[in-house]
Amino acid sequence: MSFRGPPPLPRSLHTTLSTHTGPVHVARYAKGAAKYLLTGGQDRTIRLWNPNLGTEIKVYKGHGYEVLSITISPDNAKIASSGGDRSVFLWDVATGNAIRRIPGHLARINAVEFNEDASVVASGSYDSTVKLWDLRAQNRQPIQTLDEARDAIQTLFVGSTCIMSGSVDGHVHPVTSVLPTSDAQTYLIQSLNSTIILMDAENGKLLNSFKGHTNNLYRSRACFGHAEASVISGDEDGRIWAWDLVEGSPLAPNPPPKVHDKLITWIEHHPKEGNEMVTASSDGTVKVWKTPDNTDS
Amino acid sequence: MIAHILSYTFSADRDRQSIANLCISDALISAQKHFPQSSPINRIMTTKLKRKLENIGIDVRSNSTRLTENFCLIGTPLPPLEKSKDTGEFVPLWKQDVFLPLTLVVRDEKGRRRLHGAFTGGFSAGYFNTVGSKEGWTPATFISSRADRAKAKQARPEDFMDEEDIAELKESRKLVDTTEEHDMFADTRAELASRGGGAGAEKDSMAATLQSLLPAAKDSIGARLLKKMGWKAGQGIGPRITYQQLRAQEGNPIQPNEPIDEEATKHLYAPRDTRVAFIPKKDNSFGLGYAPGDGLTNLVHGGAGSGARGSGAGINVESGPNISAGFGLGALNEAEDDDIDVYDRSGGGSKMHRHMAYDAGEEDETDDHIVIGPRFPAKPTSQNVVGSGTFKDGRPVASGFVVSEVPLIENRWFPLPEIPKGWVPDPRRVWAKDPSTATKQEGGPSNLPLPSSGAPDRRPWIKSKTADERGAMLGETPLPSAPRSVFDYLSQKDKDRLKNMGASIASGTAFPKTAPQPQMNSSVDIPTLTPQIAQAAMKGFQPFSKDPEKHARYTVYLQSQSTPDTAPALRPMPGQSPDEFNKELADYVKSAQIFKPVSGAMASRFASSATVEVVGVQHPGLYQPTQEDYAKIDVAKNEDKKKEEEEDPKKHAARLNMFGHLTREEKVWLPARLLLKRFGVRDPYPDGVPGEEPPTSSASTSAAKNDAWQTEVLKVAPELTIPSSTDITSGSSSKPLQRDLANIGLGDDEEQGKDTLTYERPAMDIFKAIFASDDEDSEDDGDEEEVVVKGKEEPIGDNDEEPLTEPPAATSAPPISQHLATTTTTTTSLTTYEPAVNKENTGKVDLSTFKPTFVPLSERGDKKRGEDKERRDKKTNKKKKGKIVVSFDVEEDGNEASLGSPTVVKSHKKERPPKRIKDKAVDAELEDESMWVEKPPPEVVKDLVLPMLTDPVPEDITSTHPRGRKRAVDFI
Repeated sequence: MSFRGPPPLPRSLHTTLSTHTGPVHVARYAKGAAKYLLTGGQDRTIRLWNPNLGTEIKVYKGHGYEVLSITISPDNAKIASSGGDRSVFLWDVATGNAIRRIPGHLARINAVEFNEDASVVASGSYDSTVKLWDLRAQNRQPIQTLDEARDAIQTLFVGSTCIMSGSVDGHVHPVTSVLPTSDAQTYLIQSLNSTIILMDAENGKLLNSFKGHTNNLYRSRACFGHAEASVISGDEDGRIWAWDLVEGSPLAPNPPPKVHDKLITWIEHHPKEGNEMVTASSDGTVKVWKTPDNTDS
Repeated sequence: MIAHILSYTFSADRDRQSIANLCISDALISAQKHFPQSSPINRIMTTKLKRKLENIGIDVRSNSTRLTENFCLIGTPLPPLEKSKDTGEFVPLWKQDVFLPLTLVVRDEKGRRRLHGAFTGGFSAGYFNTVGSKEGWTPATFISSRADRAKAKQARPEDFMDEEDIAELKESRKLVDTTEEHDMFADTRAELASRGGGAGAEKDSMAATLQSLLPAAKDSIGARLLKKMGWKAGQGIGPRITYQQLRAQEGNPIQPNEPIDEEATKHLYAPRDTRVAFIPKKDNSFGLGYAPGDGLTNLVHGGAGSGARGSGAGINVESGPNISAGFGLGALNEAEDDDIDVYDRSGGGSKMHRHMAYDAGEEDETDDHIVIGPRFPAKPTSQNVVGSGTFKDGRPVASGFVVSEVPLIENRWFPLPEIPKGWVPDPRRVWAKDPSTATKQEGGPSNLPLPSSGAPDRRPWIKSKTADERGAMLGETPLPSAPRSVFDYLSQKDKDRLKNMGASIASGTAFPKTAPQPQMNSSVDIPTLTPQIAQAAMKGFQPFSKDPEKHARYTVYLQSQSTPDTAPALRPMPGQSPDEFNKELADYVKSAQIFKPVSGAMASRFASSATVEVVGVQHPGLYQPTQEDYAKIDVAKNEDKKKEEEEDPKKHAARLNMFGHLTREEKVWLPARLLLKRFGVRDPYPDGVPGEEPPTSSASTSAAKNDAWQTEVLKVAPELTIPSSTDITSGSSSKPLQRDLANIGLGDDEEQGKDTLTYERPAMDIFKAIFASDDEDSEDDGDEEEVVVKGKEEPIGDNDEEPLTEPPAATSAPPISQHLATTTTTTTSLTTYEPAVNKENTGKVDLSTFKPTFVPLSERGDKKRGEDKERRDKKTNKKKKGKIVVSFDVEEDGNEASLGSPTVVKSHKKERPPKRIKDKAVDAELEDESMWVEKPPPEVVKDLVLPMLTDPVPEDITSTHPRGRKRAVDFI
């Protein structure tokens, strides 16, 4: 029975990373083997962690406002971050220095993403534009500005040949996260009506919707579980929800236990390993979840 | 080669290299710590360099040990190791100001540079900076003072001072130094001390010694002045007096029988030092000599002796608590609690003075024991015991109160005078007694002197009596004064007339009678308005329109006035007193007169504005919506909803989870080319999006650009080909029929401005050919010239040295050919410029076989004329088109053709060496009717030339000796 459904969610707490003061807005795994974790929070810092050991490796200070988004280059050498200070910061991971500051947006930048070879960084802002910045040249102007959105951009995804942005405008409720599947056939949309929907990338048809959690006010990111067999999301009560991607039914336990004191702002499954996942919460903690070894074997 | 490059790079910064390397290795270590998998070489060596090296053929990987030794500098370079030159080194004057840090330059408060001259190496001041002149300081010229030595002014120190110094000097010259301390009574005190008894002073030897250590107090400026005038301490002030006067002053005048000291009378004495009488200010209203008893407050605050009381000054100015001296207490600071000296125990009235060792013994002090060291606890005096304990009659005193040691003196009260029975206060009677006030009373009530009961006027004479009155009282004869009024100058008749007029006005019908005086009438008196005014006012502005009731009454009143016979008169409202009614009527009259509209012609010029005041009905109190309101709101909401739904089927679909084509919009998006490049994606729309406008500037695509570029090229191409295909005679470019001189620049010229819009910048060579100087030309395209020049006509330049190797006979033909050639080959650039022969003669010109041909004069003349015409046409053409290649050759050609003057040739001829003259002679022989009108050559020359006649001009001459200017190349 157990092998028929999606693999169980890693639900046992491995470590708690709690040196952030104030809400943590974003937590991203490093690229490659993803042995590191980067988190950014209201305390204007970006922190580099070893999630396995639970140790903080480095702190990147330089933001003048909260950090709302982080993206990591595929070679793990650079990271870009953005937040309330209306410019994208480009960091050198090793030295911890901000290599470049890219101003240009008129309001806070909610989302920032590298493209596949980190030659372009896209930034989506509250000023309802997505700007694409060239990192190869020292050009101060964006390569292109996508101003089709009519309201604040909340989320971005930059694939090899596509750029997806989620905005507050539109007919669906405000979209707070967009994430395509790896085959780029469908994408997952988290919107502020306590619903996560899976859409067909081809024709925009609704494939599945996932309900049960509460998410009406804050940006909370939904993502796919291991092997994209499940959909996981945190909610505003501090619970981690999981659904079967195909059936759309919540996975046990339903309702899930409350694991964070406040809302979960970001959830990210380990890109490679099936037994690890991380959640960031506005209670100031980042929690690393793993499947206990005995169940793993 | 790499090694070479490296060493070259390092040689510049040899001393920094090691440090830089250190830094790099540090960075590497830290990088490797975190990311062991990332290769340091990749990061440090630029990809560009790598590519370069690979191009050269060096394996980067194998040579990595050497290549890791990189020459990129990371971080801020350290300052050079060897110290810079000594700081005291001479810096040229012009550098000094720049390189001196601002702090080192002495400047005055206005920012001007101070300390010119010796400090900075010379007088650099000038003009604003300044010693007064633009040049700065210049030494004065020598002026002999021999003649006017007397006039020579002695230099004062002030002459060398600037304003600061002068200000200081002024400060020092002030009469009284405000900062100095003065002891006004130092002398007095000394006097007193000496008078009071030397014993006391001796007794307190310690205090005296200590006092002597203090600096002597300075006299006040007054005392010093007095001393300078001969006054001494202890003397009185004033002229010196005799002995007798002195005795009188002292109070024991010389008795008549008293023996007089002879010596004493011989001298004059200083007057007795008398205290200046101090008359205290009287600030109460008691009678003179009346001393009011002390109030309780005075007593308690105490300290005031009875003497002070006697002088009527119950004002014992409380000095307040002592303020502890120290920092932070300015003159303007108010004393706060913190500032009060908590250790100060010299409270007023109490006997708890501090006794310091150096306190000089005061005479009035009762206890004069000196205490050094810890104080004894204050001995309870008997007084205290009594005060805190009981009254004199044995009753205990309430705690916290003290029995006064001085009995409280109560104010003396005098009994009021008897008021006669039946007296009634009647000021009028008093006023009536005084005739002057009585007359005033008649004049008007406002002039009445107010009987002030509270404070009696201290200067009643000012108000009560005028000078005239006083004079009358004193019985003076009044001064003949000027008449006071204009009326005094009028004759009696005029006065009467004026009076009559005034009376008629007062009772007049011309003016409306205003409301009568309120105090006079108690009955209703309706003022009248003339019917005209009333009617006009009815048409005009209605001042009471906001108050409907008043407005109605106003209208009624106006009606009654406009038609007094028919309309009913206005009646007072019920409950309205006559006074109020009269006042109301007065208001109406006033407003009718003010707001009557302008009449006649003026009225037609104005239109009264219609002011409509839409004021919603205001309900007092809380707003309580009724059922209707709710219904309205609901309806509005429903309507909104309906609208929304109608407007947005998409939203509706989204709500129903009917996602799909309804909820999806697809737009064509054109990514920027750079973006495509960065993403590594092929342009999806290489030919531009069909049916789509090119995107905005931010999203401009390469496709669109490419397209535009290509079309542009296509556009340009035919225009480029135009000149080559142009028929010369037609003189127009693409549309020969439409474009001629007649219609160019006119409104119907379709081509107007087209050439300026589609202007293409010609090749650089053309510009060079036109604008570059001849010298450049010769250097640049000398070898080309050689070819070019061949077919050219002989340019008759201003350059006299140039050898004219071409036989003059050739001059006739080539101009034409040249000219034609230029027109036919305009599109070809100058480098391939190939002058051709006459079009009529040859289609193509072979350089090697080219020979100038001679054209008979008659034919040539025709041609020339035609050619001139053509040329003119073409010139205009050129100007029009702006695309035809223009060169100096052509210009010169034209000039030459039009010039054709023999004088020029003459000058040539003069300069010409005999060999050339020979050629010339040939020319002269050949075309005797040529345009060259010149002297026949000398006979000798003719003879020399003759043998050559038969030979045509050898070809090799023309080919080897280029005509025109001799170039440097020609000599090689």
